[in-house]
Amino acid sequence: MKVHIKHWHAIAQWRWDIGKNDDDDDGEGDVCGICRVPFEGCCPSCKMPGDDCPLIWGECTHVFHMHCLLQWIGTAASKQQCPMDRRPWVTAERKVDAGNPR
Amino acid sequence: MSTNCRRRLIRDFKRLSTDPPGGISGSPCPDNIMLWNAVIFGPADTPFEDGTFKLLLTFDESYPNKPPTVKFLSRMFHPNVYANGELCLDILQNRWSPTYDVAAILTSIQSLLHDPNPNSPANAEAAQLYRENMKEYVRRVRATVEESWLDPDEHEAMRQEDEAAAASSSDPSSS
Repeated sequence: MKVHIKHWHAIAQWRWDIGKNDDDDDGEGDVCGICRVPFEGCCPSCKMPGDDCPLIWGECTHVFHMHCLLQWIGTAASKQQCPMDRRPWVTAERKVDAGNPR
Repeated sequence: MSTNCRRRLIRDFKRLSTDPPGGISGSPCPDNIMLWNAVIFGPADTPFEDGTFKLLLTFDESYPNKPPTVKFLSRMFHPNVYANGELCLDILQNRWSPTYDVAAILTSIQSLLHDPNPNSPANAEAAQLYRENMKEYVRRVRATVEESWLDPDEHEAMRQEDEAAAASSSDPSSS
């Protein structure tokens, strides 16, 4: 039997490399702790996920949508602390390699 | 119109309805998602047991970067709840974090019933009785538990009677 391929459709999936295993412990997937939207979605202020709505890492290892975190850090009440552990927020020197998704 | 705050509140509601923590319930008003009614059931093995304490949560557009205003509608007798129903709870003031949601807020208030903090009293009398006269504290709390079962109209009538009685027996002082 010979098979002739006439059409094919490629399907790709991307996700941010947040340095965790795929199997999340609570099964609800990884969401931004501030807006509760999955990391692969975008913050509520953006319309399109991806490079325009990146993630931000703290040296404390906590991850958020960058826009969500910056909005919080911009309030006086935040005292520039990480929303998860209240340590002073220091952005980690880690860049998402957009060209190399998992 | 959908704003960041409203979207987040919809997610909060979803989480509260699919995975509700024990002893609390809450939902937005049908015509205004910024206004939520909630009920905290008095935790077992505390004087508050069996109480159904109603609360009102008022959100503004800066949620979750700012906490909502939370107020008990039911009359409370608790060291950290003011006479007007507002409460003194660090996470609703200077220890707020945008990672908290409605479920987290209500759970914290529930555990405050369990564990009052008599060092930052909002109700001096309740704080004093809690420290010095547990029997009387429990009696006063039980009275609010029974009151919490009344419907809002009966409750309002009772509150007005109380206020009238208080006004005639002592000078109102601002605190």
